[in-house]
Amino acid sequence: MATEIHAVLQDQDGGNTAGVASQSTDFLSGNEAAARAARDIGFHVMGYFPITPSTEVAETLSKMQAAGEHEIMMIPADGEHGAAGICYGAALGGGRVLNATSSQGLLYALEQLPVQSSTRVPMVLNVATRAISGPLDIRCDHSDIYFALNTGWIILLAREPQAVYDMNLAAIRIGEHADVRLPVLVAYDGFFTSHQKRRVEVIEDKQALQEFLGTPETPFTALDPRHPVTFGPYMNDPDLINNKKQHSLAMEAARQVIPEVFEELEKLTGRRYPVMDSYHMEDAEVALVLLNSAAETAKEVADRLRGEGKKVGVLSLNMLRPFPTDLIRQALSGVKAIVVGDRADSYGADGGNLSLEVRAAIQVDPDNRTRVLTRIYGLGGKDFDDADAEEFFNEALETAETGEVKEVFAYHGTYAGDPDKHVPHGLPAIEKGEVTRGMATVTENPETGKLNVELKPLWAMAEVPSRIAPGHGACPGCGAFPVLHQVFSVLEGDVVVLFQTGCAMVVTTGYPKTAHRITYIHNLFQNGAATLSGLVEMYHELLRRGELPDSPDITFVMVTGDGGMDIGMGSALGAAHRNHHMMILEYDNQGYMNTGAQLSYSTPLGHRTSTSEVGSKRKGKVTHHKDTPQIFSAAHVPYVFTASEGYPEDLMRKAAKAQWYAKNEGMTYGKILSFCPLNWTTTDDAAESVLQVAIDSCFFPIYEVERGITNITYDPEVLGRRRKITEWLGRMGKTKHLMAEGNEQRLAAIEEEAERRWRRIKAMHEHPEL
Amino acid sequence: MNECVLPDPSGFFEIRFESIGGLGAHAAGQILARAAVLKMNLNGSHFSSYGSEKKGSPVRSYVRLGAADKPIRTSAPIDSPDVIVVFHGALLDQDITIAGMKNSGTLIFNGPADEAHEFLEKIPKGTRVVRIDATNIAIEELSRPNAVLLGTLTATVPFLDGDIVLSTLTEKFAKRNPQAAASNERAFKRGAEEYEVLEGVGKGEGDLPVIRPSPVLGYETAPIGGVIPYAGNTVSNDLSTSRTGWMPLFTAKECIHCGLCATVCPDFCLVWTHEQEGEEVPVVRLKGVDYQYCKGCMRCIETCPTEAMTRVTETPGLADRERVPLYSQGATGA
Repeated sequence: MATEIHAVLQDQDGGNTAGVASQSTDFLSGNEAAARAARDIGFHVMGYFPITPSTEVAETLSKMQAAGEHEIMMIPADGEHGAAGICYGAALGGGRVLNATSSQGLLYALEQLPVQSSTRVPMVLNVATRAISGPLDIRCDHSDIYFALNTGWIILLAREPQAVYDMNLAAIRIGEHADVRLPVLVAYDGFFTSHQKRRVEVIEDKQALQEFLGTPETPFTALDPRHPVTFGPYMNDPDLINNKKQHSLAMEAARQVIPEVFEELEKLTGRRYPVMDSYHMEDAEVALVLLNSAAETAKEVADRLRGEGKKVGVLSLNMLRPFPTDLIRQALSGVKAIVVGDRADSYGADGGNLSLEVRAAIQVDPDNRTRVLTRIYGLGGKDFDDADAEEFFNEALETAETGEVKEVFAYHGTYAGDPDKHVPHGLPAIEKGEVTRGMATVTENPETGKLNVELKPLWAMAEVPSRIAPGHGACPGCGAFPVLHQVFSVLEGDVVVLFQTGCAMVVTTGYPKTAHRITYIHNLFQNGAATLSGLVEMYHELLRRGELPDSPDITFVMVTGDGGMDIGMGSALGAAHRNHHMMILEYDNQGYMNTGAQLSYSTPLGHRTSTSEVGSKRKGKVTHHKDTPQIFSAAHVPYVFTASEGYPEDLMRKAAKAQWYAKNEGMTYGKILSFCPLNWTTTDDAAESVLQVAIDSCFFPIYEVERGITNITYDPEVLGRRRKITEWLGRMGKTKHLMAEGNEQRLAAIEEEAERRWRRIKAMHEHPEL
Repeated sequence: MNECVLPDPSGFFEIRFESIGGLGAHAAGQILARAAVLKMNLNGSHFSSYGSEKKGSPVRSYVRLGAADKPIRTSAPIDSPDVIVVFHGALLDQDITIAGMKNSGTLIFNGPADEAHEFLEKIPKGTRVVRIDATNIAIEELSRPNAVLLGTLTATVPFLDGDIVLSTLTEKFAKRNPQAAASNERAFKRGAEEYEVLEGVGKGEGDLPVIRPSPVLGYETAPIGGVIPYAGNTVSNDLSTSRTGWMPLFTAKECIHCGLCATVCPDFCLVWTHEQEGEEVPVVRLKGVDYQYCKGCMRCIETCPTEAMTRVTETPGLADRERVPLYSQGATGA
C-alpha cells in the first residue's frame, strides 16, 4: 500500500495523524479545504472574480474574514482578467497571493498567465475544473486546465478535499523555491471535489506550519525603491529564446523540488503524496490512466477485478506540469495495454492532451510495447462510475489479450439519438401584427425635437403575446421577468435579443428547451455588447446590399444583469462609443445572483452578500454602489434611463423611447431596479413595498438623460413622499444587520452618498448644461 | 466520541434526499453527514445536485456513510439508497424520486395523514414506508421541514444518534439565531415522535430499478452547435412543484380587469381574453391562472387592488380544478 495517495496513519481517536504537527478533523468540501488552507497560510492578497464552481473559496474566506479569522486583503475584481492582473501586481510586491477560478474564468485570465510565469512571479491559483463554453455548462471536465498546460505554470492535481488542502500548502513552497520561482495552479474536479464534503485533517499547530512554509523571499520586488528594477522589458530575439530556456530550466528544477516538498509535507502531516499515483501497478498487465476524481472510482473497480485474478492497475498524477515523463515510462514499461481517459478533447488530434503526452512519454523507450487507447469521457460533468471504469478495463484487457487495438480513439458515453424521439416544438413564431399594436406611440415634436409617448392602459396590454413563454425556471417572485414583460409589452415589431450570462439566461434556455419565442443569442458577459454590435452592423450591411428583403425592421436588445455590467463594462462602453443602433437593458438586482449572491459593484455599501459577509469584524460590502447610468451618460449616447419594475408605466415609456432612439440615433442604456427575494432575503411577494422605498428614499433616482439633458421622471420630494433610507434597509434580510446598534456610521455613510448623488441628479435636472 | 455501528460495517450506508430548492435538503444532508463524521466516528461524504442556484428547482442531496477506516473513493451520486427521504409530497408522483429504492430499505415522505397514495404501490413490498407531516409541523413550530425530517430519519434509522444530529443542527443556529435553534429542536423532536409507519402499502417485487434519464437528442439528431430551433417550448414544462403549499386563487366577480397583475407576474401564467360585445369597444379580461406555470410567489395578490386574487392553501387537486390552460394541448407540440 506504499503507493496509496496517502497513508492514513490514524490513531484510535480518529483525529491525529502521525506528522509532527497536531491536527484536527473537519468535514470540508474541496473549496472549503482550499479556503481553510488559505487562512492557515495567511496569504497577503487575494484577487478574485466569482465563477461556479470555484466561488465558494472566496465565499468561505469572506465568512472567515467577517469573523476575524484571517487578514487576507480580498479584492473583488471586475472580471477574471482583472483578477489575474490584481494578483500579478500584488505578487510583484513580494507577498503571498491567492486566486481561485474555473472554466471561462481561467480562459479569460489566460493571456495574463504566461506573463506572470515568464516574469517568474509565484502565487497560487486554485482551479475547480469545469467545462468551457459553449454551450455554457457549469459542471466538471478538464477542458479548462488543458488550456493552462502551455502557460508555464506548475500544475498540481488534487483528487479529494484533503489533497486540496495539502497541495495548497505544498504550492507555496514549490513556487517560492529559489530554483523554481513559478506560479502554481492547484486543480481539483468541479463539484465532484469542489462541492463534495469529506473528512479532512487540518493543521492546528500554527508554528509547525509556519516553519514548513518559511518566509517568502524574492530576488526582486517592485516595492523596494532603494533597489529599482524594471519588470517586463521589451525583448525580441536574440534574447527571448534565452528567457524561455530559463523558464524551461525552472520547470526542470521543479521535477526535483516537488517530490522534496511532498516529503517535507509528509513529515509535517503524515500524509504521503508521490508525484505519480500508482495503484496496483507493480505487476499490472493493463491499466487505466485518469486524472483526479475518476481515478479514485477506477481504484474501486481495480480492487474488484484483482479479486477476480485480473492484473489491472490505475495510474494517476498529482503533478501535471512538469509532466512526469520518466515515471510514466517506467510505470508502463511492462504494461501490455492502457486506456487513457481524457476529460476533454483536443479536437482533431486523435486524443486529449493527457493521452498525447502519455504516448509521447513511452515512445522514447525503444522496448516499450504498450498499446494505448484514448477515450474521451465525462464531459460537462457526466458521471464516471464503476460501470464506466469496468468498460475501460475490459477494453484494455481485450487489447492486451489480442495485441490488437480495435479503436484507438473514441468518445465514451455518447448517445446517437433516436429518430423517433422529439423535442416539444413549442409555439409558432410571433406574427409582427401580434406585437405591433400601438401600446406605446412615440412621436417627435417637430419644433422642440422632444419625444412624446402615449401609452395604452395596462389592461389593454395584458393580452399582448409575450416574447418569452411561460415554463421558464426562474425563482418564485423573480423581478427580471416582470421587467422583461413590461419592456416587451411596448416594443414594436421584430426584436432580436442577446442575453449576457446571468439568471435570465440560465433559467430560460435549459437545453433542449427555450422560453424565447424570438431569436435569442447568449454570449458570455464580458463580451455581449460587442457581439450584438457586430450583428447590428451585419444587419445594416445586408440591408444596404439588398440581401435581407424580408426583415426590414429589426430592433436589437441586449439584456444583462448588473454583474454583466461589471465584467462586460469595457465591451459595453466600446459599443456605446461606437454608438450602434441597439438597446442595452440592465436588470439590477444588486449582486451576482446567478452564482449565489456574490457582491457586484452595484451592491450598495454595507449590504450582505456571500462575498461581503457580516460578522464581528466586517459588516457587509465596504464600497459604494457603481453609478452605471452616469458612466453611460458620460459616453454621450442619445438615451440613458433608470427605472424600476415597480413603476411599469414609467418603465414602459422609457422602453418605447429607447426603441425609438435605437432605431433613429444610436445606442441606449437603461438600468432597471429588479427584485430578488431569494438574495435580498424577503418574502417572494414583497417586491412593491421594497422597491417603493428604495425609490422614495432617493437611493435609486428615477430619471432619464435624453440627448445629454437630464430629467427626473419621479421626484419623491416634489410628491411629498420622501422617506428615510433606513425604511428601505429595514425591509430586507440582507441589510437587517445595519439596523442593529453600532452601525450608525455606516448608515450615515449610505445616506450621505445617496443624498450626494441625488443632489447631483437634481442639479442636472435643473440645469440642461450639466 | 460515540461509537455508531453501521448495519453492515464492510459496506456503505447511503441516504438520498429528494427535494426542491428552498426546503433545506442540502442543509439537512450536510448536518447529518457532519454529525456522522465528526461525532459518530464514521467516515462520510455529502454532496447535492441541483440545476443552478434557483429556488424551486429539483435538488437531490446525498449522504454516504462508512466505517471510520473505510476510505470513500467514489464521488458518484447514490443510485440505490438504503433510505430515501422525500421532502415534498408532489415529488412522489415521479418515478425518478423513488428510483433504486431497495426492498430492504426505508422510504420517508412528507405528507399529511389520511391522504391517498396510489403511487406508493410501486414501492417494493419489503420497504418500510414512513410518513410524517413535516410541512405542518414546520409551520406550527416556525421551523423548516428539514428539521422535522431529520428527526424522523434518526428515529427510524437506529444507528444514527438522534441526540448528536440534533446538537449539530442546534450548533448551526445557536450563535446567530437562538430562537431558530429552539424552534428547530421542537420540530426535530416532533419529527422523531409523530411519524407513522404505513403497513402494506408497497406492492412491488424486489428493488426498484435505477433510472438514468437519457437525453432526448443525440449527436445524430440534435441540430449542430447546440441551437434550439423550437421557439418557446418551455410551455411543455410543469412548474407546479415550485409551489410550497399555497397558491393564488382567482375570483372572477371581484376582478376589475385592470391588468396590474400582468405587469408583475414573473411566470406569465395569467390567462387573458379579448372580448367584444356588439359594437362596444373590445375589452381585455382576466380569465384565470394556468397553474402549470404558477410558482406561487403571490405577487399578483400583492398588487391586486381588489380581492380578486387571494392566497389559499393548496389542497390536492385544487390547482387542477381551478386551472385555466393558456395553451390548448396541440399548441405545445409533441
